[in-house]
Amino acid sequence: ARIKKIMQADEEVGKIALATPVLISKALELFLQDLCDKTYEITLGRGAKTMSSSHLKQCVQTNSVFDFLREIVSKVPD
Amino acid sequence: MTMDAASRSKEDVSLPKATMTKIIKEMLPPEVRVARDAQDLLVDCCVEFINLISSESNEICNKEEKRTIAPEHVLKALEILGFGEYIEEVHAAYEQHRNETLDSPKAGGKWGKEAGSGMTEEEAIAAQQRMFAEARARMNSGGTQSS
Repeated sequence: ARIKKIMQADEEVGKIALATPVLISKALELFLQDLCDKTYEITLGRGAKTMSSSHLKQCVQTNSVFDFLREIVSKVPD
Repeated sequence: MTMDAASRSKEDVSLPKATMTKIIKEMLPPEVRVARDAQDLLVDCCVEFINLISSESNEICNKEEKRTIAPEHVLKALEILGFGEYIEEVHAAYEQHRNETLDSPKAGGKWGKEAGSGMTEEEAIAAQQRMFAEARARMNSGGTQSS
């Protein structure tokens, strides 16, 4: 239900089939897991125990599939 | 914190932080800690992901001259955006969900698969809409616990 709300906040999006948020929710889970795993590798690589936003930033920069996140992480200082 | 229902700005649309924090923690090995700003960032990434898939699906939907975004559009969007490896699992989750909603106990197991989609699908859709409405209502009224 949350996901549907976010989708409909975008004015360009029209109607949404009922099953769609289910699909997106699953994809989001996978995506988040992916993002976490990859960022965690960086955290380990740096020998840190706490995952910080700069690890996340580096993760986004090294994976082209996360390109759409560049703007979001750009606010993070290096 | 006052939540004015009338002024629904774009900023209000996000995922509930507490739930996200829990999910993120569960995804990582237990001994890892996550900095507060990193957590917020992850949540922002999620919202961005949803927006991305939505607009891409919407475009695909328009190109096919349909008015309702269908599951195939979402799957196609995932592929285009480079998340092709998710497609199999997403599709599996979708199938499972479909089976769960179509096998409505009310209509008796027989209807589900043999009679085709006629009546049961409508019932299922009605049930789903009720669930969504309930969930939305719960979200709107019950979110004031710790904030």
